[in-house]
Amino acid sequence: MSGRDRISRALTPVTGRLSGKPYKSIRNTLGKGTGEKRGQARYSAFDLFRRGFTKDPWPPVWREHELSSSYDVVVVGGGVHGLAIAYYLAHRHGITNVCVLDKSYVGSGGSGRNTAIIRSNYLTPDGVRFYDRSVKLYENLSAELNFNVMFSQRGHLTLAHNDSSLRTMRWRAEVNKLENIDSEVIGPEEIKKLVPYLDVSSEPRYPILGALYHPPGGIIRHDAVVWGYARGADTAGVHIHQNTEVVGINVSSGRVTGVRTNRGDISAPIVVNATAGWASLISNMVGVRMPITTSPLQAAVTEPVKPFLNTVVVSGSLHVYMSQTDRGELVFGASVDPFPSYSMRGSLDFIEGLASHVLELMPALSKMRVLRQWAGLCDMTPDYSPIMGFTPVEGFLVDVGWGTYGFKAGPVSGEAMAQLIADNKTPQIIEAFALERFGTGELLGEKGAASVGH
Amino acid sequence: MILIPCPNCGPRNASEFRYVGESIARPDPNSATQEQWRAYLYERVNPSGWTTESWFHRAGCGRYFKIERDTNSNEVRAVRLEPAAATKGES
Amino acid sequence: MRLSLRPGEVIDRSRPLRFTWNGHDYPAFLGDTISSALAASGERVMSRSFKYSRPRGVLTADSLDPGCIVQVGDEPNVRASHRRVEDGMIASPQNVWPSLRFDVKVANRAVSRFLSAGFYYKTFMKPQRLWPAYEAVLKRFASGGVISNRPAAGYFDKRYAHPDVVVAGGGPAGMSAAVAAAEAGAQVMLVESEHELGGHLRWGGAHELSVLAELKAAVSATNSIEVLIDSVVAGRYDGNFLAILQRSLPGVTERLIKARAKTLIVAPGLIERPYVFAGNDLPGVMLSGAARRLINLWAVKPGTRAVVFTANSSGDAAAQDLEGAGVEVCCVEDARRGGDVVRASGSATLQSVECGDGRTYQCDLLVTATGWTAPTSLLNMAGDKPTYDERAARFFPCSLPEDVLATGGITGDGSLEQILEHAAHTGRLAAGRARVAGGRLRKGVPHAAPTDSPVAEEQSNAITALPVDAHVALFRGRTHGFVDFSEDVSSKELEAAVAEGYSSIELAKRYTTATMGSAQGKLEVVNAVAVVAAATESTITETGTTVWRPPYAPITLGALAGRTLEPVRYSPMQSWHEARGATPLVAGAWIRPDHYGNPTAEVRNVRSNVGLIDVTPLGKFDLRGPDAAKLLSQLYVNKWAKLAVGSVRYGVMCAEDGVVLDDGVTGRLSDDNYLMTATSSGADTLLEWAESWLQTEHPEWRVHITPVTSDFASINVAGPKSRTLLERLVENVDLSAEAFPYMRVRRGRVAGVEDCLMWRIGFTGELSFELHVPSSYGLHVWESLMEQGADLGIAPFGIEAQRILRLEKGHLIVGQDTDGLTRAYSAELDWAIKLDKEDFSGKPELSWQAERSDWPKLVGLRPEDVTVVPPEASQIVHDGAIAGRITSSRMSPTLGRPICLGLVAPHLAEPGTELSIVLPAGVRARAVVTEHLAHFDPEGQRLRG
Repeated sequence: MSGRDRISRALTPVTGRLSGKPYKSIRNTLGKGTGEKRGQARYSAFDLFRRGFTKDPWPPVWREHELSSSYDVVVVGGGVHGLAIAYYLAHRHGITNVCVLDKSYVGSGGSGRNTAIIRSNYLTPDGVRFYDRSVKLYENLSAELNFNVMFSQRGHLTLAHNDSSLRTMRWRAEVNKLENIDSEVIGPEEIKKLVPYLDVSSEPRYPILGALYHPPGGIIRHDAVVWGYARGADTAGVHIHQNTEVVGINVSSGRVTGVRTNRGDISAPIVVNATAGWASLISNMVGVRMPITTSPLQAAVTEPVKPFLNTVVVSGSLHVYMSQTDRGELVFGASVDPFPSYSMRGSLDFIEGLASHVLELMPALSKMRVLRQWAGLCDMTPDYSPIMGFTPVEGFLVDVGWGTYGFKAGPVSGEAMAQLIADNKTPQIIEAFALERFGTGELLGEKGAASVGH
Repeated sequence: MILIPCPNCGPRNASEFRYVGESIARPDPNSATQEQWRAYLYERVNPSGWTTESWFHRAGCGRYFKIERDTNSNEVRAVRLEPAAATKGES
Repeated sequence: MRLSLRPGEVIDRSRPLRFTWNGHDYPAFLGDTISSALAASGERVMSRSFKYSRPRGVLTADSLDPGCIVQVGDEPNVRASHRRVEDGMIASPQNVWPSLRFDVKVANRAVSRFLSAGFYYKTFMKPQRLWPAYEAVLKRFASGGVISNRPAAGYFDKRYAHPDVVVAGGGPAGMSAAVAAAEAGAQVMLVESEHELGGHLRWGGAHELSVLAELKAAVSATNSIEVLIDSVVAGRYDGNFLAILQRSLPGVTERLIKARAKTLIVAPGLIERPYVFAGNDLPGVMLSGAARRLINLWAVKPGTRAVVFTANSSGDAAAQDLEGAGVEVCCVEDARRGGDVVRASGSATLQSVECGDGRTYQCDLLVTATGWTAPTSLLNMAGDKPTYDERAARFFPCSLPEDVLATGGITGDGSLEQILEHAAHTGRLAAGRARVAGGRLRKGVPHAAPTDSPVAEEQSNAITALPVDAHVALFRGRTHGFVDFSEDVSSKELEAAVAEGYSSIELAKRYTTATMGSAQGKLEVVNAVAVVAAATESTITETGTTVWRPPYAPITLGALAGRTLEPVRYSPMQSWHEARGATPLVAGAWIRPDHYGNPTAEVRNVRSNVGLIDVTPLGKFDLRGPDAAKLLSQLYVNKWAKLAVGSVRYGVMCAEDGVVLDDGVTGRLSDDNYLMTATSSGADTLLEWAESWLQTEHPEWRVHITPVTSDFASINVAGPKSRTLLERLVENVDLSAEAFPYMRVRRGRVAGVEDCLMWRIGFTGELSFELHVPSSYGLHVWESLMEQGADLGIAPFGIEAQRILRLEKGHLIVGQDTDGLTRAYSAELDWAIKLDKEDFSGKPELSWQAERSDWPKLVGLRPEDVTVVPPEASQIVHDGAIAGRITSSRMSPTLGRPICLGLVAPHLAEPGTELSIVLPAGVRARAVVTEHLAHFDPEGQRLRG
């Protein structure tokens, strides 16, 4: 089969869903799938206190299992997306004969490498509603998972350095307000009050003219989200298989029959590609070509200093975003690298540019020291929006193309994909993100917010 | 920073160049179907390993050329100018 | 206490200094570090630990010292065991709660059992609204110093270098390798992180000091070695691109050297590994290297009564040094004969040590020498995955790329002589490989082909590997102690993390934050791996190690940033604008006048008299060749074949997805010569875009495109009196409407300047002439126009006035009235699109768009309330949903009412449709779709006049 044929196939409007039957009936035909519940210690201040005295050990956050020969759903990718899908399948829909596979440890990919910024002040109504649902889920996540994910809604500032980006900020603010999202454009004086270390004078080469201020935005403890979902999924009987790499996906007559891993084969009627950084490679295994290029995004962290920055600060024009963690470290990230690569080694020019942009914004920080730099892989789509849902291969679902915004969307993606699997129907909240849009040429408009026009 | 071997100027820092994209042929604009055209616009193989891609030497000679690059190691081999430059060089 | 003269001491006793620590005055000598001076004055507590507030003192006496991180003036997190004292320096401890000396041990013990690693994940969960309060408490634990909000003084510098060989590490191996490489013809950079070359030889005995003297002499006798001290190879990136941070420079705070090394020799030596046992963080417990450095470099007596726990020659030597320094060594506990240390105790500082056999010694110093960690960080960055050797109890390099070599302790043990020989051999190999790499670079080949790799021919001449000695594998003893001192993580917490399921080293690291502190894991990682391995009943090899990431040593933002170089483009008339008080507008690379005080008045003046605007940033391209029209036809949706010489045409350019990319006017100057203009921000992209068609799709076309933006100063003369004005200045061109009509171009003499181009176009909607004059005459022509126009009421106008004028006329701005999804038919450009052309960029998408009617439309909008201008980006709503937005809006000085352009849903685009606009306060305003985009002079009579 030529590459071209495969492409055409990927672009054919998708009509064939999963045998036309909702998931639950499939599950019945497959038998099994009862969630083995077990007692699990609830985390609480009291229990911390009690165990402090009794020295009782904490039970494991999740268990290890042998690979079963079949599951109802195989989720590829043990990051926040994959684990959230499994969690919601089990807890909301009672679908528990599910496994999550990760080629390394859970949260080792994008989930553990992002800069943990949460916000919903997107540009398109579709985007705003979707990310707002995620923020809402994040707000209740510590309580729902009984795992403190430390969501710090400290406010989020997107700086504008020229009139066209200020216009885009206003555009976002207007759309946000119509969607009931707390978001407004503020001027340099208010910015200075929120972030005293910012230089809002006319001195810089690209002076700060204003900012989009989004009070519910903030940062989160990304690992905790991963662990919390993993623990919650495990409790309901989901199998989490770490160090389990998918090496192939079996397709028969246009539908998925299972996956091949380095630890053995699994048969499954539904395989979800919930990877970031490897989305093209997994999809290529079933011949579904993706509109994705993969580039590293680099980030860095400094040594800690006493708290001085209590807001997330983003500058699109200067390609930098930063926040200070509760530990005192300044975490910053850049835009994606200018050419695709699967290398996560990091580069010097990136961190030089990043440092100069940080100092342009906050000149007082020149003696802060960078302790570590790292990179994560971003699957960039042409319209800066994800690809979610059905594909031309029956039973092969995707939750991919997460660019630089995947972590923000973890909970809502898990919820929506679980719903999709349970109902065999695309939930309204992710309809706009279907793969077909690249075939019909009806791309989404988030690019205007992500890249700065002229 | 990786070195990109410009066929005219020799190896230079990658920051002198613009990455253009995966090498992909432009379909005939008058006969291409929507599927073919949008595959050309959006779809990429995005391989892990060797790939053929176009670069432009923006801060140098202003030439488009193709290289083969390993997307894991960023090693580069087999460099060639786009046909135009080669033709012009001869004329 | 200061000892009498030591042979290798680095202090200058003739240069006493004073400095302030914790508010008190202290003496020091030139050459002292902050911690050596404090130790010489008997101070033992340098900080409090970040989580449990435990007292901490000197552990390593080098830049890694986790308990010796202090604030110096405005600078946080200064390494007190590396930074030298300067006269008058003000240093203070960073984590001092409740105070540096107050013993809060009792409180610690009570609290610490609840503050085990990761405790915060298990509490503070409900209610979410109280989390900010909890968070505020957690933040009080933030470690580190204080960053002031004053721009820090300092001059940061950068330098590019292309050395043949860079040697990372200036110890004996590094020095020997550098000399050998240089003797083999290489240009060498020798990089040492301490203030002097020599590594461990500096604190060694007489033999070491004499070898050091010889090596130093050899280095300084070799011209082709550049020695960088107090410098560190902070990172190794793809292509052997090295970040070298250089400090201790006169007049420069720090310099970042960006070195494209042909080969890199990694010779960092070994890092002494702490031993994990109860009380291992008490001030008074230190590594053998620290004790030897204090005694031999700074002549500081580190204690009075000591226990030495040794597993190697460094510990043996430390015991000797201690005795030589008058320290009573009450016990040498030898791990090679089964000795062990179980517990160190004391209140605030060390008071007693319990050994493995139960004996307890009263002492104020415990020196441990339990083994080595190979700092393989640079090798990891080069793609190596070091492997663990059980016999040597440390990691070794495994597979290095051709351009990276390693020598010294990181590769093996052996005598000093063996190491020097290995290093010299490595240096010669590096020089040889650098020669081959240089040859390849000259030939333009970036990477080795397997056939011309020098590695093969080296086989006959292979290096004899250094021997590897057996070392006792000592990581954690029988008790629990601290694994990560800067993060306050104990072995017990790591075990607990593993038991909870965070059972891989990376998960345990993330959960406990072990190895994530100031020493970047260099002190802690192997102990952490060993503890996790033991807890999971696996080997160190199976457990693996965490990934080392750059930088190798912490590096300031200032050094990374250097001096920010942000080029600015100005027109030749900039001085005139500045003198007239123009308000600048940052427009990408350009800075240009936004207005001269009153944009409304500027608009009125253009409509009634004549105005001048500096449009130099307009992108300009010279097209030459018989196929120039073919290129234009490919780039633009319009047709060009029939454009006559002397005519100009407005063109619209789309990308291959049909989205509007750029627009501008192109004039045909002669048969095969065109001048093409583009938006100023799109100019760079456009050149590359045009070249891509020429070089990749149509190499057969004979046309050259040359960017000429800065060759011309561009001035638009607009207004009903513009012709009158120009007639006073233009020679040899008939400016009458008949001879020089709208959309024509002429070449002539303006204000005495030859070869000026004049275009009759009208972005402002007025009669106007756009002059492109040789840029060196721009100011002259501008001033001449102003002078000759004085009686006509001439005035300059800026970008703001131009935007109002063009909006009155309904001319769109690409990128403002269009966005990343706007295909050409949406922008009311149907008249320009010629689908019958054989080909042009975006043709297929536009032909499909033409078949549909469901695309948004750009329309003119007339708000009903004549006093309120709906701000740009205001949303248009219909049936409760967003149905469009205002793309441009202004109060029109000419019409005395607000005017807008908007992109709206197709069913709302009919003229006369009433739309509802959401104003910022949330109230709705009504507006009516107008018949034309133009609000003023839709027929274009004025600009054709």
